[in-house]
Amino acid sequence: MTKQELAAYVTEKFGDKLRPLESGRYDPLFEVQAGDLVDVAQALKEDENLRFDFLCNLGGVDTKERFEIVYNVASITKNLRLDFKVILPYEQAEVDSVQKVWPGANWYERELWELYGIHVRNHGNLTRFLLPDEWDQGYPMRKNWDAPDFVRLPEID
Amino acid sequence: MPELRTEEFIVNMGPHHPSTHGVCRLVLTMDGEKIIKIEPVIGYLHRAIEKICENRTYQQCIPILDRFEYVTAMSCNYVFSLAAERLGQVEVPQRAEYLRVIMLELNRIASHLIFYGVTAMDIGAYTPFLYGLRERELIMDLFEMTCGQRLTYNYIRIGGVSRDIPPEFVPKCREALKIISERMSDYEGLLNENPIWLVRTKGIAILPAELAVAYGVSGPVLRASGVQYDLRRNDPYSIYERFDFDIPVRYHGDCYDRYLLRLDEIRQSMRIVSQALDSLPEGEIKNKKVKANFKPPAGEVYARIENTRGELGVYLISDGSAKPLRVKTRGGSYNQLQVLPHYGTNMLIADLVANFATLDIIMPEVDR
Repeated sequence: MTKQELAAYVTEKFGDKLRPLESGRYDPLFEVQAGDLVDVAQALKEDENLRFDFLCNLGGVDTKERFEIVYNVASITKNLRLDFKVILPYEQAEVDSVQKVWPGANWYERELWELYGIHVRNHGNLTRFLLPDEWDQGYPMRKNWDAPDFVRLPEID
Repeated sequence: MPELRTEEFIVNMGPHHPSTHGVCRLVLTMDGEKIIKIEPVIGYLHRAIEKICENRTYQQCIPILDRFEYVTAMSCNYVFSLAAERLGQVEVPQRAEYLRVIMLELNRIASHLIFYGVTAMDIGAYTPFLYGLRERELIMDLFEMTCGQRLTYNYIRIGGVSRDIPPEFVPKCREALKIISERMSDYEGLLNENPIWLVRTKGIAILPAELAVAYGVSGPVLRASGVQYDLRRNDPYSIYERFDFDIPVRYHGDCYDRYLLRLDEIRQSMRIVSQALDSLPEGEIKNKKVKANFKPPAGEVYARIENTRGELGVYLISDGSAKPLRVKTRGGSYNQLQVLPHYGTNMLIADLVANFATLDIIMPEVDR
């Protein structure tokens, strides 16, 4: 399947649940509603033409207006790549865990909780691991986070 | 006779244990010599690389990412440049692509030679360490000759490479390849059929393929478990399609296969380098349109390459300004360490050292 065929297949198969986004520059990029996340992930993994069995990467984003969580998945058997993201408003920073589908999401989701303050439901082990145990200075990957020794470099034209 | 009382106890392996290669702490619950539970404790090397990158221009991110995975810093330079080039639709001159492939593969050989040395040293054989690092030095000299650095190269840039190779590079490189390929038989002769080595590695710590895929394990560790998945073939980047090379696979998933597979990969990388040297074209080495204030249009992209320790990825988001909105890095070691507690139990503590060593985890890539 080429990238275009994959995008067309996914759009046809999932309809409204995976909405294509224009900002993806190389691989197909979709948006999924937070409520559908686990179902869609499971379906992507189980669909016999897709078999997205490999979670490459999972990361939070603070766009200064909202949170986004990006899932980069790959299929080893079918040799495909796909990205999808969940968009969350600041006041509703909660998402379901996808560990049931991809167990390797565990640490990536801990990172979401620790560095962005996005609560992950049904995770089971949301504890500190990158930051010191006694850390109490908020969520450092948020754009509005500041510390006395963190110097913002000037904007460049 | 009073009854013998036994109880579980906790062993703290690390953070400053010589075989954890950096500062990784493993909290082991032991029943005598047998491991019942492994709990990795990470974060000792957390330098907030992703946060720092958000505060730098695209060009300034490259030297920071050198520190992300410093044993194969060329790959870190490359994967970020690849992501930025995909965002900005930057064309790369042919000569630069060839130089990149040569450097990436030389770096892979150097990294596998370190693996060969330190793994053997962890298991108790000292000579391989001297051998491996001796030949790695030949490659370090080549890098130093090209970009002045031995570890943190800052060589591969957006749109090309920072400088051309000196005229003596090609003959020196061929000579280094010749020396390494001759000495491969020494390496294998020391360990492959060594009875102590076989007892310590063969059939030890078998990682099943399904578990590896579920936890996102990639690279040589995945291929040693029988899954033929190499991004140079499966998600081609740069000019790897032009070269003739094999993807080695082994099927037992034990420490011995993980060790053998890396020796196989050294041979394949040498094939790629010598083909690239043969067909190295003349011409530009850098796209002149890429300026210091490189600003790709808004968009997002995930770039991934086959690194020595598995899939190395960067998720890069641009909002059209001179600084990236988000740089999410992904390293193979992170997943390799994450899967360790799920198959590394019920074995002797001495086998954990062999297991950990053959996963080839490096901590800066985990902690970032």
